[in-house]
Amino acid sequence: MQATEAVKLLLGIGEPLIGRLLTYDALGMRFREVRLRRDPNCPLCGSHPTIKDLSIHHDGGAACAITPNGREAAVATSARA
Amino acid sequence: MKTLKEMLAEARQIVPEEGPADLQRRLAAGEPVAVIDVRDPDEFRDGHIEAASNISRGFLEFRIGAAVSDQTTPIVLYCQTGLRSMLAAKALKELGYQHVINLQGGYQKWVQSGLPTVRDQPLTADQIQRYSRHFLLNQVGDKGQRKLLRSKALLIGAGGLGSPTALYLAAAGVGTLGLMDGDVVDITNLQRQVLHTTADIGKPKVESGTRMLKALNPDVNVVPLPMRITVDNVMDVIKDYDLVIDGSDNFETRYLVNDACYLAGKTNVHGSIFQFEGMATVFAPNQGPCYRCLYPTPPPPGLVPS
Repeated sequence: MQATEAVKLLLGIGEPLIGRLLTYDALGMRFREVRLRRDPNCPLCGSHPTIKDLSIHHDGGAACAITPNGREAAVATSARA
Repeated sequence: MKTLKEMLAEARQIVPEEGPADLQRRLAAGEPVAVIDVRDPDEFRDGHIEAASNISRGFLEFRIGAAVSDQTTPIVLYCQTGLRSMLAAKALKELGYQHVINLQGGYQKWVQSGLPTVRDQPLTADQIQRYSRHFLLNQVGDKGQRKLLRSKALLIGAGGLGSPTALYLAAAGVGTLGLMDGDVVDITNLQRQVLHTTADIGKPKVESGTRMLKALNPDVNVVPLPMRITVDNVMDVIKDYDLVIDGSDNFETRYLVNDACYLAGKTNVHGSIFQFEGMATVFAPNQGPCYRCLYPTPPPPGLVPS
C-alpha cells in the first residue's frame, strides 16, 4: 500500500491517501477508511504552532511540548518491543 | 493566397495567448490543463516543460483525439518561439476544441523566464521491455516512466514495512532509492522482512537491501544509509528526496520524521503495523493533517510494543 501510494504521488496521478487513514485487519480481512482532519490546535501544523524547529527532539526523546490548550504533545520516550 | 504574416494574424484573432508565468500558475494550482509541445521529437528530447506531451505539428490533428478526449479541457500549445503553435492552435479550434491557448514566446521564453525544464534520457532497449507493462497504462506511459526514473524516494527503515515497499519501488523503476536503517539482519526478521536472506544474518540491513534491490533492477541507484535517523541527520538526509516513506518501528522516529517532513515541505507516506493490523496514510504538508493531528500524544511507554 505504501509503495502504491508512493508511485501515485511521484507520478501525480489518482487520489492519494491524504486526509484518509486506511486500516487493514488481516484476521477479519477487512479494510476500513477513516477521514482525518487537520487539528487547528496541532502544535506543528495548526494555526498557532509551537513547534517551529526540531529542538523538541534534542533531549533524547523525553522532551514534551505543552500546546496552548494544555495538551502534552511531543516525543515519546521510546516504546520499543 | 495568404502570406504567412496574414495567416498568423488570422490565428491570433481566435487564439488567446498566455505567458509562461500564467501556465506555471495553472500547473502549480493543479488545474486540468493539457500541455502539448508541437515541436519535432528531437527538439522535445533536448528539453521541454515537464507537464508537456509531445505531438509534433504534422501529427497534431491525427493524435489529439487520443491525447485529449474532452473538447472542453483547456489545452496549452507551445513550440520554440510561439509561431508554429499559433497555427497549430487555430487548427485545434477548427476541430472543435473550445479552450485552446498559445504559449506566448514558446519554449524559448519559458526558459528565459527561468522556469524548470526536463531533458529526457533516451530509454534503453532493456528499459523499453522492462517497463512495457507500464507503457500500457494511460496514467503512466512513457512519460510517467521517465518521471519515475528521475524520482527520488527515501525509505526510513528496511524492515517489515520498508522491505516490500522498497522491492516494489525498485521494480517499478523509481530512479533513486535512499535506504536508511541502522540495524543488522537477525534471524527473527526473516519471516517478514523480505529484503534480506538467510545468508545476510549479521550483516547491515542496508547492505543486503542494496544488493537485493540492485539485483531486482539495475536501473535503480540505491543509496545505502547505514544509520539510525536522528534529530541531527534527518534534515540533511530528507532534503535530497522528493518523497519520504516512513516504515519505522517506534513512536520517537515517527514524530521526528513527521516534524522534519512538515518543516521541510516533504510528503510522508506513513505506514505502521501491529500483529494482524496495519494502517497507512499520507501526510502532505498544508494539504492535510500530520501525524500529530492524528496522535497528539504518544502512548505511554510500554503500552504498545512496536
